[in-house]
Amino acid sequence: MELPRILDLGAAGPLWSNLSEHRGGALDLDASKVERIGGLCVQILLAAVRSWRSADKPVRIRDASDAFIACARTLGAMELVELAEAG
Amino acid sequence: MDPMEPFKATFFQECEEQMAELEAGLLALESGEGDGETINAVFRAVHSVKGGAGAFGFDSLVKFAHVFETALDAMRSGALEVEPEAVKIMLRASDVLADHVLEAKGQGQVDCARAQAMAEELAGLTSGGGEPLEEPGDGSVEGEDSFGFTPLMVDLDEAPAARAPQADVEEPGGWRLSFAPTEAMYAKGNDALLLLRELERLGAHDISLESSALPEFDFLNPEASYCKWSARLPGDVPEADIRDVFDFVGDDCPLALIHENELIKGAAPPSLVADLGLAPALASALDDPFATTPAPPPAAPVDVAALLSAARAEAPQPAPKARPAVKDAPAGEELHAGKEAGKAAAVAATIRVDLDRVDRLIDLVGELVINQAMLAQRVSEANLARSSTVAIGLDELEQLTREIQDSVMAIRAQPVKSVFQRMPRLVREIASATRKEVRLVTEGENTEVDKTVIERLSDPITHMLRNAIDHGLESPEERVAAGKPAEGVVRLAALHRSGRIVIEVSDDGRGINRPRVRDIAVSKGLIAADASLTDEEVDNLIFLPGFSTAQTISDISGRGVGMDVVKRSIQALGGRISISSQPGKGSTFTMSLPLTLAVLDGMVVTAAEHTLVAPLTAIVETLRPKPNDVRRLGPRGAVLAVRGAHVPLIDVGVALGWRPNPVDPAAGVTLLVESEVGGRAALVVDAIQGQRQVVIKSLEANYQRVEAIAAATILGDGRVALILDVDAVIDSRFLEKLESQPLAQAS
Repeated sequence: MELPRILDLGAAGPLWSNLSEHRGGALDLDASKVERIGGLCVQILLAAVRSWRSADKPVRIRDASDAFIACARTLGAMELVELAEAG
Repeated sequence: MDPMEPFKATFFQECEEQMAELEAGLLALESGEGDGETINAVFRAVHSVKGGAGAFGFDSLVKFAHVFETALDAMRSGALEVEPEAVKIMLRASDVLADHVLEAKGQGQVDCARAQAMAEELAGLTSGGGEPLEEPGDGSVEGEDSFGFTPLMVDLDEAPAARAPQADVEEPGGWRLSFAPTEAMYAKGNDALLLLRELERLGAHDISLESSALPEFDFLNPEASYCKWSARLPGDVPEADIRDVFDFVGDDCPLALIHENELIKGAAPPSLVADLGLAPALASALDDPFATTPAPPPAAPVDVAALLSAARAEAPQPAPKARPAVKDAPAGEELHAGKEAGKAAAVAATIRVDLDRVDRLIDLVGELVINQAMLAQRVSEANLARSSTVAIGLDELEQLTREIQDSVMAIRAQPVKSVFQRMPRLVREIASATRKEVRLVTEGENTEVDKTVIERLSDPITHMLRNAIDHGLESPEERVAAGKPAEGVVRLAALHRSGRIVIEVSDDGRGINRPRVRDIAVSKGLIAADASLTDEEVDNLIFLPGFSTAQTISDISGRGVGMDVVKRSIQALGGRISISSQPGKGSTFTMSLPLTLAVLDGMVVTAAEHTLVAPLTAIVETLRPKPNDVRRLGPRGAVLAVRGAHVPLIDVGVALGWRPNPVDPAAGVTLLVESEVGGRAALVVDAIQGQRQVVIKSLEANYQRVEAIAAATILGDGRVALILDVDAVIDSRFLEKLESQPLAQAS
């Protein structure tokens, strides 16, 4: 699943819905296009990563853009930074 | 109605103030008068506009303000030098920012190409024209950028005034903060990311996300807020700077902020307690503001829960949002609660009042004045002795009424600064369009005038400035050739003179080309080819209707408006305009206007059994002419000899069509009146009733425009009296029209 460029208030609802559709399967996120993540979408991604992990489903954030990593770092979302850096 | 409308209106009102502050600050920097606080004030102005715009989702405004703010921040941190070229760019950037504000307001459209070029120039400032400085955050600034470039932020670590926060260096005496965004904050378009970025720019480190309240993915509301953040900042960051970051999220994002020095002392000062009480929601939103900080306070720990409880007990009400304007009080020092309270009181000393309410008050006071005058008239009709208690009481009432009226009028009085501040931009634009070098000098910006007059000053001043630069000033080459500095000076001044406000626009240009003006006037048939005119009369030809034509109007000064229109619009306000010029040295336009359009000091006179009011400001003297001072001129005209000079004699009753033939001037009273453009004239009336202040009631608004009548008023006896438009009565065109009428029609 490709993450959109801007993950702000407007993107939060659709992001949650799109992720919900992948429930039960692996979580494979392409973060190459991301230019910005806001607080709301970071919450959604964090909750998703935790839920998928607790369901023992694979979680991956690949090709993360520098902006994705920088935003996640600024927001203190180190779980996402580690995942993104692991690719 | 959009429920956000009132908030937007307030935002735009504040924008206006911030823009004025911005321009004033930049101009001070340009003239070398600014200091560190000026740069701070300028930065805050742009920051405030950006913050408010973000709350309303004015994206392009936010983006441009951000680029601007970045450049200003570089200046603030010392990475960018305060040199004239940079300030000039910023002045032009302030114009573009103003355009963005207008666009957000729905009053125009931003020139995208210009905005983009401006943004690039600003970015060029921070990159020092060479290697771009590294951005502290990610590669992009607030997502996609409509300008197609990435604004560059200054790396504060490398700046001279760097705060050099090092996450691995434990610094006692730093700031600790914690904040918990609410759903409302996100719903208004604000974001924790933006807050954290701003904090990073201040040197925030050890940013930590607290997500224990985050539910299972399936139960998550994607637009609800579950996380909170904490961070540390260097102790030398001014508290106000940190609070500024949260200025626009207010109660939507409870904030706990504490300086470790206060923790070390074991007791927080009252101001801090009050600050912690800033958001009552804080206690529930933040169980422990420092729970997530990695290191414990270096000294005796403080019971934060008790502190918060004390804050709740001592400050149950949210503290006012207004905070002291001075932002860089040295951190770590004792916070001066008393001083801050004093400043808060200063802020509270002004209130915003809807103009309609003030107008209503002024109307009512006007009625009070009329009522008081009517009462005085009744008392005088009752033939009571002047020493009677009723008469004395009435005198006191009159005095009190006047005082009330003056005080109420003072509420609406405003310095002309608000109009003058718009002019530097205009001058910059005209100078650039005409390729002239111009320096605008303003004087008397604090001269006060009624708001109703202020609003109408802008257009004539704009036109006079355009005219001064476009027609008055020479090109830099011509100036140098004439032995003048290449840079022309245009002076805009305001002053009070004889109960009127005088606005002067002068230039040090070439002056009026009198032969050319004369030629044009002759070719347009405005004057006879052999007319003998004084220099002053030639200068004033430019105010004649039909003088300005396509041939003489350029894109800059013309815009289809001739000086005659300017003159008429000024006259409609009860004002006058005149010009004086010295060839090769420059011209001065002088415009004089009444201080208010609400009241007028007038002389009440009788003409053909009608009561009229003549504005006192126009009257030079009153006299009763001797028969041999009057000389007949033509079949109906007459002149009066006044101390060797001859002035036209005008019978007001005839001029207004109330009687067919003039009365004998020697039998009536003559008012010698003066108009700045039309010279002097003697108005013949039957009698003078007295002088009094009258409340002006617009004829246009209540009836229709009447020639030679400026307005109406209600007198003490309840009768309506017309206020004479002296300039119109003595206007030669009006007289000619009158004289061309057959006698029967005049009656």
